[in-house]
Amino acid sequence: MAARTLPKTDVVIIGGGWTGLAAAYELANNGQRCVVLERGRYRHDATYFAGPGEHDDLKYAHQYEHMMDVSTQTLTFRNTPEQTALPMRRLGSFLPGQGLGGAGIHWNGQNWRPLPQDLQMRSFYVDRYGEQFLSDDDITVQDWGVTYEELEPHLDFFERVAGIGGAAGNVGGEIREGGNPFEGPRSRDYPNPPMKQPIATTLFAQGAAQLGYNPFPIPSANLTAAYENPYGAQLHPCTYCGFCERFGCGYYAKADPIICIYDRLVGHDNFEIRFNAYVMRVDKSSDGKTATGVTYVDEDGQEVFQPADIVCMCAYSLWNVHLMLVSGLGEPYDFRNRTGTVGRNYAYQTLAAATVFFEKDILTNPFMGAGALGMAIDDFNTGNFDQGDLGFVGGGYIGSTQTNGRPIAYQPTPAGTPGFGLEWKRAVRDNYNHSGGVLLHGSSVASPSNFLDLDPTYTDVFGRPLLRMTFDFPENDRRMAAYGLERVVEIVEAMDSVVSYATVNRAGPEQNYSVVPYQTTHNTGGAVIGTDPGTSVVNRYGQMWDYHNVFVFGACLFPQNLGYNPTGPLMGLAYWTLEHMKNAYIPNPRPLMDA
Amino acid sequence: MKFSRRAVLAHIGAAGLSAALPVRSPAQNAYADLEGRPWFFFNDEQARFVAAMVDIFIPEDEFPSASQAGVVDFIDLQLAGPYGRGEGLYLQGPFPESTLPTQGYQLPYPPAELVSRGIEEVEGGQDGIRLVDRDLAGREAFVGALSGTQQSPVAGGFFDEMLKLANWGYFADPIYDGNRDYAGWRMVGFPGAHAYYLSFVDKHNVPYPVDPKGIAHVPGEGPAEFLETRSREG
Ligand SMILES: Cc1cc2nc3c(=O)[nH]c(=O)nc-3n(C[C@H](O)[C@H](O)[C@H](O)COP(=O)(O)OP(=O)(O)OC[C@H]3O[C@@H](n4cnc5c(N)ncnc54)[C@H](O)[C@@H]3O)c2cc1C
Repeated sequence: MAARTLPKTDVVIIGGGWTGLAAAYELANNGQRCVVLERGRYRHDATYFAGPGEHDDLKYAHQYEHMMDVSTQTLTFRNTPEQTALPMRRLGSFLPGQGLGGAGIHWNGQNWRPLPQDLQMRSFYVDRYGEQFLSDDDITVQDWGVTYEELEPHLDFFERVAGIGGAAGNVGGEIREGGNPFEGPRSRDYPNPPMKQPIATTLFAQGAAQLGYNPFPIPSANLTAAYENPYGAQLHPCTYCGFCERFGCGYYAKADPIICIYDRLVGHDNFEIRFNAYVMRVDKSSDGKTATGVTYVDEDGQEVFQPADIVCMCAYSLWNVHLMLVSGLGEPYDFRNRTGTVGRNYAYQTLAAATVFFEKDILTNPFMGAGALGMAIDDFNTGNFDQGDLGFVGGGYIGSTQTNGRPIAYQPTPAGTPGFGLEWKRAVRDNYNHSGGVLLHGSSVASPSNFLDLDPTYTDVFGRPLLRMTFDFPENDRRMAAYGLERVVEIVEAMDSVVSYATVNRAGPEQNYSVVPYQTTHNTGGAVIGTDPGTSVVNRYGQMWDYHNVFVFGACLFPQNLGYNPTGPLMGLAYWTLEHMKNAYIPNPRPLMDA
Repeated sequence: MKFSRRAVLAHIGAAGLSAALPVRSPAQNAYADLEGRPWFFFNDEQARFVAAMVDIFIPEDEFPSASQAGVVDFIDLQLAGPYGRGEGLYLQGPFPESTLPTQGYQLPYPPAELVSRGIEEVEGGQDGIRLVDRDLAGREAFVGALSGTQQSPVAGGFFDEMLKLANWGYFADPIYDGNRDYAGWRMVGFPGAHAYYLSFVDKHNVPYPVDPKGIAHVPGEGPAEFLETRSREG
């Protein structure tokens, strides 16, 4: 039992990042009293992220000052269910957030929409290639239960909240030159124009175009013009400073949840946020149909019970799933019998890339960068090409970005260069200003042996079992990455001024997924959305099947991962869920779908 | 006690290594002037070992070696501080013998302890000759043998840690006392912390030759000597 019980609130929201603050804004303005519980501290762009102090590569990019503290809570990891999982003792492969704004303050800002077929992945492939195509491999790809047409207004709204700059490729069915011709029809253009492009990404786009592909600027939350969002937030144009990913933006030039949402909500009578409030569990009613609120540890280390009519889980995908497991919400997935749903269909992102070395008259000035600065093609994303003979589902965008030239990590060296010594030093210096990259940002299918559950041995500082992750790249994705890397190399060979290139395939033969090198903070699944309670944790409105007053947000909803970065899609889903909470649930609380 | 870091590190000079003493550039910031202070973490022997090792990682050429660029001071400060004490590291046991490379670091030691143990272990290993007593080829062979080593988990973890720290120290902002006189940034042409490229990013193949400026640089003023608040001894 918690030491102290507080007065009841209408809505308690776990987590003060992108989804949590969006939920608080929409529900507070709909008349609900909202309490946000954030495990981290207060921080703000103007006072905490100002340059040049923020431009400290060591502190933020390598010592993870803005990210979660794994000495408090981490997860354990193994590649396969037969192995013993061990703790992720320091951050590496992914960098979840902690503190006001969550990971939304240190993200890159590449903002995508899902393709229409992404949301109906199983039906799409079955229609196109027959049932056999999916059952050849043991993969558990499924439909989302919500369509592109249904999500479109919400994807559009988030593009407005974040002031996305891009070139539309399909407005109401009309295909536009210079945009992504494969995207689903959008109701209107992006709110802002695309970013300026440096030489390296321009050479990529030219090479791709020569091969007949369709390059377009990556949709960007690094602002390209002075802009006011629908909540009234004022944003400024990006300076291409190259301190973006892993940093907060003191210029108000990268959309984040603090400047885009929090500032427009703070002071509202219906809004309260408590910092250093670490949620331990969601508490359940005795009839087992609803949650009664949440228990958290406050900044004095005291357990506090916050009763609420509605619980919104916005703690980031992995920690939402962890909270469900430690709270006994839903049935945990058991991979041996393939029963249960919580923790099922965990997926990640499949990356393969080439570092490209240019002639010496190409000066890339890599330090002029931004998180979402780059060009991409979508010709090899899910369903955008004929996969009948290729034997894999999914795909990804192929892009060239210029995010930064910070020299602790930006050290492009040709294949065969030693890892230290004179030759290495020479190679770093010779190639620093003459290199670029081309990346396959590939999807990740769900498979029965990739999942999340609780670790039997290791605990967090509060004594709760750690989340246990079991993951390796499924064969389907290894085939996809091999094929995608061939396309990457073809483009590189078509590019002008290229001297040589070096490739890396994270899902290559004999390569097991590792939690050590940074890949992406795109952990997905584990509490997936759907229309069948046997294969999903929440119904198509993001409402838990088992506890109708618990709503779930974030990438844990994805039944499998897309060939895109997740925030655009997960914020589209968040606004979809919030609309149904406001219009259907709050006026008449009940399960919004029959199980 | 009269103390000189420069004197300690001078002993590492060996055939083939530069005989030049680390040259101290004008102070960039409050931390830069450590000459008159004892080490924060190392003892003299450890400092010499580390200097010899990081200079194999980053030797002198037209640009300074690691130790010349302050990397030993950088590592000393890091290991004495929160990083060295294991801040941000999950150190609860058990620590099983057999681990997968994909599971990452699995030793029970925070970085400072790993480095002390690592120096002790690798100095005692190989053929018993200390790193600093070897000639250049001997030092290269000694350090090379630790790379990707299966020798022991401590030796392997120590090697990875030292390579990481040397790289950090050579390229991190000079407020941490490495990257002296912007050695690392000058080498690659990185302009540093004062970054504003809105009107330049789409000018293709145009050089951007500016002097690097770190966090402690104050626009419109020279080197930030006024920040030098510590008194000098020795
Ligand atoms: C380096 C990096 C680059 C990225 N780049 C991109 C990109 O270019 N494009 C893209 O689409 N996405 C990108 N992302 C991913 C993006 O940041 C996330 O998708 C997004 O932030 C998810 O929003 P969220 O609300 O689910 O989680 P978050 O924004 O992380 O918020 C979750 C919050 O919950 C809090 N919390 C967790 N557990 C508890 C608890 N028990 N009690 C109380 N509070 C808790 C956390 O402290 C955190 O503040 C990137 C991420 C990183 C780290």
